[in-house]
Amino acid sequence: MELSSISRRNFLNLAVGAGAAGALAACGSSGPGTSGGGSGASATYWYLTGAPGEQIRKDTVDRFNKDNSDSKIQGTAYQNDAYKTKIKTAIGAGQAPTIIWGWGGGGLKSYVEAGQVEDLTDWFGQNAAVKDKLFETSFGPATINGKIYAMPAETVAPIVLFYNKEVFQKNGAQPPQSWDDIMNLVTLFNGKGIAPFSLGGQSRWTNMMWMEFLFDRIGGPELFQGVFEGKPNAWSAPGAKEALTKLRQLIDANGFVKGFSSITADSNADQALLYRGKAAMMLHGTWTYGSMANDGGNFVKDGKLGWMNFPPVTGGKGDPSNTVGNPGQYYAISSKATAEQKETAKKFFKDAVLSDAEVKEWVDSGAVPVAKSSQSMLAASKDAEFLNFVYDISTKAKNFGQSWDQALSPTAAEALLDNIAKFFQKSIGPDEFISNMNGTIGK
Amino acid sequence: MTTVAPPPLRVDRPTSGGGRSGGVAWMAVPALIMFLIFGVVPLLGVLALSFAQWDGIGEIKPAGLDAWQSVLSDPGLPHALWVTFVIMALSWLFQTPLSLLIGVFLAGHERYREWLAVLYFIPLLLSSAALAITFKALLDPNFGLGSGLGVDFLNQDWLGESKLAVGVVVFVVSWQFIPFHSLIYQGGVRQIPRAMYEAAQIDGAGRMRQFFSITLPQLKYTIITSSTLMVVGSLTFFDLIFVLTAGGPGDATRVLALDMYQRGFMAGLMGPASVIAVILVLVGLGLALGLRRLGGRGDESQLEGA
Amino acid sequence: MTTLTSGARAADARPDLDEAPRRKGRRGTPRNWIGGALGWVWLLVVLVPIYWIVITSFKTQSTYFAENTMVPAKDPTLENYRLVLEAGFVRYFVNSVIITVGAVIPAVAISFMAAYAIVRGSGRRFLRWTNSLFLMGLAIPLQAVIIPVYLIIIKLKMYDTLGAIILPSIAFAIPLSVLVLTNFIRDVPKELFESMRMDGATEWGTLLHLAFPLTRPALVTVTIYHGLTIWNGFLLPLVLIQSPDNRPLPLALWNFQGQYGTNFPAILASVVLTTLPILVMYMVGRRQLLSGLTAGFGK
Repeated sequence: MELSSISRRNFLNLAVGAGAAGALAACGSSGPGTSGGGSGASATYWYLTGAPGEQIRKDTVDRFNKDNSDSKIQGTAYQNDAYKTKIKTAIGAGQAPTIIWGWGGGGLKSYVEAGQVEDLTDWFGQNAAVKDKLFETSFGPATINGKIYAMPAETVAPIVLFYNKEVFQKNGAQPPQSWDDIMNLVTLFNGKGIAPFSLGGQSRWTNMMWMEFLFDRIGGPELFQGVFEGKPNAWSAPGAKEALTKLRQLIDANGFVKGFSSITADSNADQALLYRGKAAMMLHGTWTYGSMANDGGNFVKDGKLGWMNFPPVTGGKGDPSNTVGNPGQYYAISSKATAEQKETAKKFFKDAVLSDAEVKEWVDSGAVPVAKSSQSMLAASKDAEFLNFVYDISTKAKNFGQSWDQALSPTAAEALLDNIAKFFQKSIGPDEFISNMNGTIGK
Repeated sequence: MTTVAPPPLRVDRPTSGGGRSGGVAWMAVPALIMFLIFGVVPLLGVLALSFAQWDGIGEIKPAGLDAWQSVLSDPGLPHALWVTFVIMALSWLFQTPLSLLIGVFLAGHERYREWLAVLYFIPLLLSSAALAITFKALLDPNFGLGSGLGVDFLNQDWLGESKLAVGVVVFVVSWQFIPFHSLIYQGGVRQIPRAMYEAAQIDGAGRMRQFFSITLPQLKYTIITSSTLMVVGSLTFFDLIFVLTAGGPGDATRVLALDMYQRGFMAGLMGPASVIAVILVLVGLGLALGLRRLGGRGDESQLEGA
Repeated sequence: MTTLTSGARAADARPDLDEAPRRKGRRGTPRNWIGGALGWVWLLVVLVPIYWIVITSFKTQSTYFAENTMVPAKDPTLENYRLVLEAGFVRYFVNSVIITVGAVIPAVAISFMAAYAIVRGSGRRFLRWTNSLFLMGLAIPLQAVIIPVYLIIIKLKMYDTLGAIILPSIAFAIPLSVLVLTNFIRDVPKELFESMRMDGATEWGTLLHLAFPLTRPALVTVTIYHGLTIWNGFLLPLVLIQSPDNRPLPLALWNFQGQYGTNFPAILASVVLTTLPILVMYMVGRRQLLSGLTAGFGK
């Protein structure tokens, strides 16, 4: 099931291979990662499985429970690709957990409209210290109609362009500085029998990352903003067609690995293609760094992995510093929870979420948490170079666009992903894509 | 509905149950209740929901014909119908002749054929999820069978090209079910009276003649039974396709059932999803009734009065 | 799936099935080369993937990528199986057993009662109507009503319980069971029922002491058939189950696959492990199953 993109949202390092299996077994993926007691007043909290996030989330819960023997949090870990539908059906069934893990944006908005989550605006007002320790940019997706409905948490995950340095050196290639360079590299690598770009196309949101960057680089952030605000015919705005035409040229030139439509990102096969040297480049979220370090043998350790921001398109309007991805993950509180549970959840937000201990764990795992306190810790990390790069991109971007499928309502997101899949299959062209998508505006 | 009326041999004295059939009616009640609650009520429910608006989370609101309008004007519907039909037709066309021939072959009584039948059954034991996962791994363009064997022909983009993906679905379905249908045909063949073949041999009919003039006509109802199972069964290829291609590439393998799931549980459009579900039921009923007509008899289309 | 009564030969109950004289040398059915060739070719088609699943499940991931995939590993490893078992497969197995047994036995029992009633009380409009309803039910795919079923389960406060899978599974097993069983009960000679009645047996007694033994092969068939279907069911758990604790095997398998990506050996080990119990059952009840099936459907 290609539920949208869960793994990319949370630096999931799906454990592949025996080395990581030990770690997995240790973090209790062998069953629900339940921790804490089951007393009636305890709050429930669902989060995602997978190293390293699962263990870090669990540790945070354990720390909280140790300090609060009277109001515990009961955590349960869920497999990523099923979670998104699961949480929806659970909320629909009136069985939502107290703390709802999510990605903010359109999904959160649908909960807000159904009256299923708490308004946290006043709480943040009373707890300015909590608000001030987080990245400013992380509040965008948590804010619906001017009110805050979720606590930004965990890590920031921009999408970046990874490349295999070894493959580049062997073929005398340089990292692309513009879109034209990209097209030239495609010709070069195809000639050598290496796939230019790895892509887990069955997951659909992976294809979307390409569209997000081209829209931004050519038309600037306002291009998608129009769609987000539901302006009629927003997809026909100038720039959209050019972006789609360029993307189509890349597909036509076999820019993506053969068989990309049958590769899922959840299986990390797309990353395997990059570190095994079968593909030269990959546009992907920064959370893949951790899993490539885990699964790719010495690939990351030996410095064979290169990374950069997506290059500009000549004549485009978008600022080259712009990025897209996930400004954070978001914890909402179910409005159906009891008063005690809500109190426990808020206490958890205040004391445990992104505490110094948790921030350190995220940094150690090769990720940048959305807390300002993380910056000082990055330098000490073994992945300092990469983490500083992520920190700089995230904090210096003129615009940090949220992933489209997260920003839109679930209905519009599904239509978008569907059309993107067809576009990459070449069953529809730019014009048809634009007219199809204009038809979904406001849904 | 041909019902077997019992010959009234004698005047009945009411038994403890209160008459010759009065005492049995209650026995049908538990099954009826279960089926009403989880079969009939949902059927009415899906009809009702098709006139409603529900995102799966909030309130269910009446919405008149909105869902119907949006689905019927959506090019996705004819496409899903078409894909459903193509997969159904191809899997029938592929499976029936093969199953029939293999079934005739298995009907022989040599020991080794029995062992064949034993091995044949194994694919049926695998769940669709397991099967889909297996074939997904086998056909992986980069890490699958082809690259392992170094046979480039096997390195097709099996699940990434629309036509190939449909072909793979049909093949996996056949892989799983041909053995089952072969066994059905084997049973059918074994019920054909020997004497018919012996008479034909005396008349000097060759093997081909015998097959076409005895075996095939005698298997008419077996063919209808097997085809009904295949055709109605093909409407339920959800698990397999869901795990194998998730309806992709694009929407190349998005059959009705998958379309419904995607609209309902992923896009939060329970109304339109219910419309698709209603269409799915109508298609299923239509097919089943059509096949029954072919059989030319009522509910006993299965009963060969041998 | 455990009602495989040993000893009772299905064929005994249906003497017309296997009474063909086995004269060596002179076959009644003409030999057919096409069918024979196809039979063997298809056997290969069936066995190659199975062979591949099994040998791959004993490889390490690096072996798998490094060597010819069709050759068994030189140093087979059980590591993958350990991994799968540690991922909680015992628990999922137990869930699957509970669901299957909990659904199949009631389903077959009430279907048998209904089939008996339909045959014995065939003059009554209520039963005719019931039978027609079940026949219609044959054509209703479960997928089509999953949304209302989900709603009903929520209303019953059964969401995310094993019961949420058991109840709809029972309902959806009824139509086919009734169809197969009525066909069988109809074949029971009327005189037998009559003589039971003359002896003053109640309908219930007749059902237990006459219909039940005579339709045993059909009962075994529908039991196994639905057992397989429910054991392998995926859609109901996908929609109605939420906690990892309540997952049955197919859903667990799917999650496991998402988690282990390109570690094909581990994934295939999980496929083997989920199929193994069924395979054992099959080996035990093979004879019953094959004769029952051919008798049940091949009419």
